[in-house]
Amino acid sequence: MAPEVVLAARGLVKDYRRARAVDGVNIVVHRGERVALLGPNGAGKTTTLLMVLGVVSPDAGDVTICGYELAKKRSRAAQCVGFAAGYLPLTERMRVREYLTLFAQLYGIADPSPQIDEGLERFRITDLGDAMGTELSSGQRTLIGIVRATLHRPRLLVLDEPTASLDPDVAMRVRTGLVDLSDEFGCALLMTSHDMSDVERVCERVVFLSHGRVVADAAPREVAARYGTGDLESVFLHLAERHEAAAAQQSDHP
Amino acid sequence: MNTSVTAPVQLHGLAATRLRLRAIARRHAYVLLRSPHRLFDVTLWPLVDVLLFGALAQFVGNGDPSGASQAAGYLLAGIVLWHVIYQSQIALSTGFLEETWTRNLLNLMVTPLREVEYVAGVALFGMVKLVLGVGVMVLGALVFFSFDTWSLGFGLVPIAAVLLLVGWAVSLFVIGLVLRFGSGAEALAWGVMFILLPLSGVFYPVDSLPALLQPIAKLLPTTHAFAALRDLVDDKGLNWVQVGIAAFGALVMVAIALAYLTRMLRMFRRRGYITRYT
Repeated sequence: MAPEVVLAARGLVKDYRRARAVDGVNIVVHRGERVALLGPNGAGKTTTLLMVLGVVSPDAGDVTICGYELAKKRSRAAQCVGFAAGYLPLTERMRVREYLTLFAQLYGIADPSPQIDEGLERFRITDLGDAMGTELSSGQRTLIGIVRATLHRPRLLVLDEPTASLDPDVAMRVRTGLVDLSDEFGCALLMTSHDMSDVERVCERVVFLSHGRVVADAAPREVAARYGTGDLESVFLHLAERHEAAAAQQSDHP
Repeated sequence: MNTSVTAPVQLHGLAATRLRLRAIARRHAYVLLRSPHRLFDVTLWPLVDVLLFGALAQFVGNGDPSGASQAAGYLLAGIVLWHVIYQSQIALSTGFLEETWTRNLLNLMVTPLREVEYVAGVALFGMVKLVLGVGVMVLGALVFFSFDTWSLGFGLVPIAAVLLLVGWAVSLFVIGLVLRFGSGAEALAWGVMFILLPLSGVFYPVDSLPALLQPIAKLLPTTHAFAALRDLVDDKGLNWVQVGIAAFGALVMVAIALAYLTRMLRMFRRRGYITRYT
């Protein structure tokens, strides 16, 4: 039996003013699958994620999460998804435990204490429960953000740059925690990252975007082989060069 | 990894909605309790208004006890009821602005929280602030100027309810503007009420306004609510006709504000304005 599809994004298109940010992106993610969405700056990764999350509406195409069509059943679909981004701050004037309780309750969990304890323990930050959000380092905030996103056991965890500007120790904790989460309860991951070594360690599939289009969608080694390189880093650099060249050509001939 | 996997028990339907409402209300309670300067909005400024308008009433009616009493009635009852609109509007508007200031909007928008649940949660806590603020004013009017607001009777309740609806309608409109125009529209959260204040005849009949403005003033539900309030002050009882017109106008305002907000929210999603707050 084919594994359950938790995310199906079909033909996503998004235009911002005169520029096309996303141009017909198709992504299907199955239960427990760990997928990286990669590409140079401006390739359309974050816009794609925001459409998958229902925060930006596509100009064309549709998104289905756990069988719920996002455009029609956003709240039901959101119940199946968790989201964290390295750049988002924690809510001010709340202690970590209060903050986590707030978000757990938004997902309908009346008594989230066991999940909060478990999440803090998983990322080895049990000492932060009583800290104020403003007292945390960026690494700690990222970890708390991931705990927040996983309290309700999402079937799809969406992460935008989860290891950006983290020191190696915290980045490793994030990677290990994510793989454990995925293995333990079959949570699928869809993450963006600029750190290709992170991607190679966490994800079993990569989707490369360039100019808003999917240019590769396969296992990391397969993609590297297709571009005649040994690793994802070289594929990334190759695509980034092409991306820049195309952008320069476009600005020469508007 | 040594963690046990505990599946959370999740509520659905109405129970989940109630939980989300309480969670949002509690989130805003933390904001108020942990930023004492915000208590100024709820306690000190309303008290300052009572002192200002109470003293003005004393001065206007100087040497004439009945005149002073009538002026106190118009001015103090007017300012206390004005704060019903002001506090309800400012609580909801700044509640939403708080999410933009703390870049929490994206975090909230990806959860199952529905827009209507969010607004209801903030409005719910806004009611607490309203009771606190208006309570301080009623007490201040009694202590400093021997003006008992409750002596006006239960007719105050429907008038206050209409004003509450108008306050919410204005704040929904302000939230729509912030969604559309970004932080630049924030100033309206405070400023828009000062357009409504003179036009609503809070302290005087609208006949006192320039002739050009009177037709506009008469279109506002607040004008009719405050006219009903003056009838109460004059011991004429509750003017149900004025209250009815005010209630109808307030409901129309809420409907227009909701339609505008829904449209702006759609535009917010279509144009990807969330990136302003990430």
